[in-house]
Amino acid sequence: MNITLGNYYPADSILHRLDPRVKLLAALTVMIVIFFLNSPLSLLLFVLVLFVGIMASRVPFRLVLRSVRPVIFIASFAFLINIFMTPGTELWSLGPLTITHQGLLVGIKMVLRLFFLIMTTTLLMTLTTTPLAMADAIESLLRPLEKIRFPSHELAMMMSIALRFIPTLADETARIMKAQSSRGADFDTGGLIKRAKGLVTVLVPLFVSAFKRAAELAVAMESRCYRGGRGRTKLRELKLRPPDRWAAVILVLICAALLLIEYLVPLGWFGLV
Amino acid sequence: MTSQAAQLRSEPGQIIIEIEGLSFSYEPDRPEAPNALNGVDLEVEAGTHLAILGRNGSGKSTLARLIDALELPLSGRIRVDGIEAVDDETSYMVRRRCGLVFQNPDNQIIGTTVEEDVAFGPENLGIPNPELRDRVDTALAIVGLSEYAQRPPAQLSGGMKQKLAIAGIMAMQPRVLILDEATSMLDPLSRRDFMELVQRLNREKGLTVLNITHNMEEAMVADSVVVMHEGKILLRGRPEQIFAHVAEIIDAGLDVPAHAAIAHLLSHEMNLPICPEKAASFTGAIATVTQLMRTAADREAASDALTVSTEPVATEVVASTKSAAGEIIIEVKDLSYTYNPHTPGATEALSEVNLEVRRGEVLGIMGHSGSGKSTLVQHLNGLIRPQSGSVRVLGFNTRLNKEIRELRRMVGLVFQYPEHQLFADSVFADIAYGPKRLGLSEAEVERRVYAAAEIVGFDPDILQRSPFELSGGQKRRAAMAGVIAMEPEVLILDEPAAGLDPAGREEILGYVRELTHKGRTIILVSHNMEDLARFSDRLLVMKDGRSLVLGTTDEVFSRADILAAAGLEKPRTAQFMEALAAEHPDWPLATNAYSVEAAVRLIRQAGAPKSAARQSAGDRLSAVENLWVER
Repeated sequence: MNITLGNYYPADSILHRLDPRVKLLAALTVMIVIFFLNSPLSLLLFVLVLFVGIMASRVPFRLVLRSVRPVIFIASFAFLINIFMTPGTELWSLGPLTITHQGLLVGIKMVLRLFFLIMTTTLLMTLTTTPLAMADAIESLLRPLEKIRFPSHELAMMMSIALRFIPTLADETARIMKAQSSRGADFDTGGLIKRAKGLVTVLVPLFVSAFKRAAELAVAMESRCYRGGRGRTKLRELKLRPPDRWAAVILVLICAALLLIEYLVPLGWFGLV
Repeated sequence: MTSQAAQLRSEPGQIIIEIEGLSFSYEPDRPEAPNALNGVDLEVEAGTHLAILGRNGSGKSTLARLIDALELPLSGRIRVDGIEAVDDETSYMVRRRCGLVFQNPDNQIIGTTVEEDVAFGPENLGIPNPELRDRVDTALAIVGLSEYAQRPPAQLSGGMKQKLAIAGIMAMQPRVLILDEATSMLDPLSRRDFMELVQRLNREKGLTVLNITHNMEEAMVADSVVVMHEGKILLRGRPEQIFAHVAEIIDAGLDVPAHAAIAHLLSHEMNLPICPEKAASFTGAIATVTQLMRTAADREAASDALTVSTEPVATEVVASTKSAAGEIIIEVKDLSYTYNPHTPGATEALSEVNLEVRRGEVLGIMGHSGSGKSTLVQHLNGLIRPQSGSVRVLGFNTRLNKEIRELRRMVGLVFQYPEHQLFADSVFADIAYGPKRLGLSEAEVERRVYAAAEIVGFDPDILQRSPFELSGGQKRRAAMAGVIAMEPEVLILDEPAAGLDPAGREEILGYVRELTHKGRTIILVSHNMEDLARFSDRLLVMKDGRSLVLGTTDEVFSRADILAAAGLEKPRTAQFMEALAAEHPDWPLATNAYSVEAAVRLIRQAGAPKSAARQSAGDRLSAVENLWVER
């Protein structure tokens, strides 16, 4: 089973040690900034930033690149739509299909932005941050909302339990599928209805077991004195250390620089736009 | 008897658990429903290691939940460390003092890393850092998982997960540790390891241990044993006292240890009395058997009568010869398999395994978790395709896609805990799923469902019920029937009796035995030596993905070196016979007994010639008969 969600890559790096709240806010900020990047120069500079980020994380490049795999289909689709649908100078045409200079550029930028988005969030949020740390960060960032009765602790607990059980349920799904295949179930061939029927033999036992697990887990948590967030301490308390502050400052500067380059450097420097 | 057991720890110890007239029902609104607990009285002194036995539904787990204040009594009272749980606050105080380890390791781990899971309890107690950090590190060190602190729990083995559960409890510094069938999903090696840890905590930390178990060997090492039956306490005492009550124990759906069972059966067959309490301990049982045989010999000599009643050698003792007869239907050659190849997580599951299986034989595959047993059997019906080497089953090559469907009709695979795969709205529909997928006529599907239901001992009316309302053992049988109904040529069973209580085990294994009598080719995967030895013609021992030895049951169990290398033990009956033979080198005693009945037969055969020697020389008939028996 290969599931990218919660695929923490254990290593000791600056990025791993960074406060998860900083990483979460950084990921959100970078996501927004990426949408403003349009010029080749700023996109190129972003590649550099990403490169430095990956180097600092000690995560193999392969793993970061692999994270775009799930969006390749969407990306290709967006690319095709853009190169054919954007009006402009004709580059190449065949019958009703016309590829324009502008369309090609827009398409490439679109795909790049999508890939940057996925790679940045994967790098900051999943590869270098344990799911539990991420849940802690969300809890901590949402804590101010508790004043308006927002259940931030419960939300974080739910997320971390969900994350904890993903590998368990994935294993279980694989096991049930194997057992049903041994009884002649077919998940790969046949029409939609036939496949759906095959899936019923997997989904029913999976749900039954998930409910059973939930009930047992609830008892196990109660037995270990869980009573919600009230009076709870934390083994890993989130504390902003100087390096975290510095990282935040550096990140803000990088984002500002990228936006400045985007808007202040005259367009068409490279004669591409 | 109760007071005797309580005095076992001679410390002027405090009574840590005090239960009076405790009753409980899961359906308090329905007075006609039977109570899960009915008037239980129990006192446990601090520092005691108490084993609680009883079959499923006897109320053991309910008792554990009440002690841990996860449920409140219907009537009666429980005090833990002087605190009676009556509301949320007192329940919390009780839970602080008790730790509960559950059966399924996966359903009690909360943290996404090992240390975060250990911290969960003390975090709930509001323990601040640095004490919290200290408690977590200490608890991990106690159970020996320090080096795994940062790992995700999914990477741990079953045995390590249960130790992690203990660490999570130790970090809360409890006074009572309750194990609710905590070892039932572990293999023998992990089980031994886990129980050693529990005993160490009991002895060194003075932790009170309540071990709810189906394993009689675990009960033997406890200070005191309670047997529960239908919500009541049936027996209480030291293990030797408990296992002296053989009839009551069997009636309660439980087992007695092999040595006690042998002594009792021998006494019963020879019609001679024994001291039941003496026979309940291993050494006592050896002495008892010795005494029985001497008495018999004396009696024989005195009466000068022909009392050699030993039956001719039965099939169970002599390894079956049918394995040599049938044609080879499964051929595995140089099979190797690696999970996640070419990645850092690559693990070699099989390495150059060779195997031949003949039609009609029963092959047992044994080895610990992770030895490659499951990977090997999944190759046999094409769930896993060979990476290198070849697998030919009934003439099919499992590398070829188009042959897989045909192959799966011929090779049935019953997975571990098959009841987790039930899905249909009636037992009938669930059993019929496989045959229907084979494209059989409705009449034929129906015939097969009824035939399979009969093999697993189902009444036709069970077939109309929902599989989800059946009991645990019935669910298991329904799931087995679903594979049996496909009428495969080869039936593979992976740990068919895992997690069941002794009576449930016997029942399932009875159906397995029936299948073996029908001449099917059966592959039985298990880490239970007793079960394998009783049913198999040949055994394959696996370790770390390699096949260590393949041979007849006797051949394999005579290779002590290989069993030790694989971390396996001989069946308890054979262990007893060896100890007996060591005690009496002069007895012509064969030690290859894999069931209580076989052991008794071998003992009586060995005893007889000795008595013959004492008899007058004129008693030729007897001597001749003995010679015949000896052969």
